[in-house]
Amino acid sequence: MTAFKKIFNIKKRDFVRAGEASINVQNILKSLNMDHKLIRRIAICGYESEMNVVMHGGDGILTVEIDTGKIMLNIEDNGEGIENIELAMQKGYSTATEEHREMGFGAGMGLPNMKANSDVLKIESEKEKGTRVYMEFFVL
Amino acid sequence: MPVSADMSHSSHYVTFDPDICSKCSNCIKACPTKAIRLYNDNPTCLTDNCIRCGECLRVCPTGAISTTTYELEALQKDKVSITLVSPILYSQFKGVMPNDILHAVKKIGFHHAMDLSYYIEMFLYAAEEYIAENRITRRSPWPLISPVCPVVMRLIAYQFPNLLPHIMPIMRPMSLLAKEARANISREYRIKKDAVILYHLTPCPAKMVPSRSSFAQENSLVDRTMGIKDVYAQIIGQLNQMKKTGIEASREESEPQNISGNCLLWGISGGEIAGINSDRTLAVSGLRETITYLEKIEMGLFKDIEYIEFRTCPEGCVGGALNAVDKYIAKNTVLKMLRKFGLERLIPRDKVILLYENGWGLSDTTQDELQRIFGVYKEHISIEHLQEIEKILEQIQGKDCAACGAPDCRTFAEDVVMGKAKLNDCIMLRKRKIDKILENK
Repeated sequence: MTAFKKIFNIKKRDFVRAGEASINVQNILKSLNMDHKLIRRIAICGYESEMNVVMHGGDGILTVEIDTGKIMLNIEDNGEGIENIELAMQKGYSTATEEHREMGFGAGMGLPNMKANSDVLKIESEKEKGTRVYMEFFVL
Repeated sequence: MPVSADMSHSSHYVTFDPDICSKCSNCIKACPTKAIRLYNDNPTCLTDNCIRCGECLRVCPTGAISTTTYELEALQKDKVSITLVSPILYSQFKGVMPNDILHAVKKIGFHHAMDLSYYIEMFLYAAEEYIAENRITRRSPWPLISPVCPVVMRLIAYQFPNLLPHIMPIMRPMSLLAKEARANISREYRIKKDAVILYHLTPCPAKMVPSRSSFAQENSLVDRTMGIKDVYAQIIGQLNQMKKTGIEASREESEPQNISGNCLLWGISGGEIAGINSDRTLAVSGLRETITYLEKIEMGLFKDIEYIEFRTCPEGCVGGALNAVDKYIAKNTVLKMLRKFGLERLIPRDKVILLYENGWGLSDTTQDELQRIFGVYKEHISIEHLQEIEKILEQIQGKDCAACGAPDCRTFAEDVVMGKAKLNDCIMLRKRKIDKILENK
């Protein structure tokens, strides 16, 4: 049993509201007086994963769980899926559309940023079924 | 309970007149740090959470909220009183030349009225230099955040401490002026430094408690602050007087100060970055927009921008809550005056760069100090409290109506858990109870 758990919805192609779940997570962590640097890492990972859902993922959910010693983010969507995870993990690799790039996204830094800022990163994906990204952050 | 670091944390910023207050809860909802409550029909400001943004003053429909201001004292024989004039004052009088305004200000009861132009240009030079240096040294992370707006500084210390390293460590023009003015006047009059009384005439509600206004150096720099609207009528009176006796005569009386277009432009959003020679800048104004952008910077966005100017008042400082004239009229006045003044700088670059290289103007306030000065002491909750809060929220199923006196259901739930409010104050819960009783009848 985790001490605290909350689920946020992420909507497909909703660029205006993208990032809101991460901001909510941030505010919860701030009210708990968590370390600021840790909060920022979680914020960056939350935002990047949320953007991925908005751009490629269809509808999804972001779950935050707070436990003694660690914080977990789990992001699941029912979108297009990642064909080659290894490739997607490379800096600069992006499958963003022309439209996404025009909006300033799609630099191919999403997953690398998440890897750099999380302590544990697991990605499961099936083409045309969806993607699940699970991250852990250790509270020292 | 957290202990305040110094007394200024407990000084009252806003006061409510309960007789005029209509209990509408506009201010409660508008407050960005959720510092206002209306429990038992008694409006109170939780001073520790207040960042002095003045948003409550702006939204109050009855004028029941006021800030602490200083009254102008009669000139004292053994003291020299100087007023440091915010350039936003020039935007309040259409078609009147800045030097005439300065003269009118002086005549309402000061020995000198000082203009900010030089220091704004110095600030701009120093900012450009710092940006150029930072491209190489990467001492501060991009984007740099302008240190000018005191509310933004407080907002960062209070809600976004991660962004403290982004604040450009250059002293604000007003601090530079205050520092110089006190030294120069005491030398000129051969009096002690504390015999110089520095007033600051400003549209900014955040500066009303001078000890908390900005970087540490500024704390002791300004003695008293006055809102523009509080002396507006007096200035108008003096200007009319001057018109009668002939403006030319008054011009001979006072030494003209060189006023630059950069100084006039300072009051409107974008006025700061307009003078900075970097293409990768942004100007953001308004409280909500500022918060949204700070959230985005915290999430790692805008790394390709070098400098962001934030002003929490709408349209920039002309939107300050203590202005006398509407912000759009003031903005028009500025832009029209700018056609006369242009954006040419009055002081040569070399002069300032030399000073800059000697460390002049660089703020030596550390991030910890900044956090201590601005960081208001937030009460933190435990994970057990968080669980309880979620439970209460589920129970309430509310609509953030604020009828209980808290800005939203979450804040109300927090207050209940912390023992500051009673669950029974929620009208949604009460309505459901009544519905049940009626059903069973």
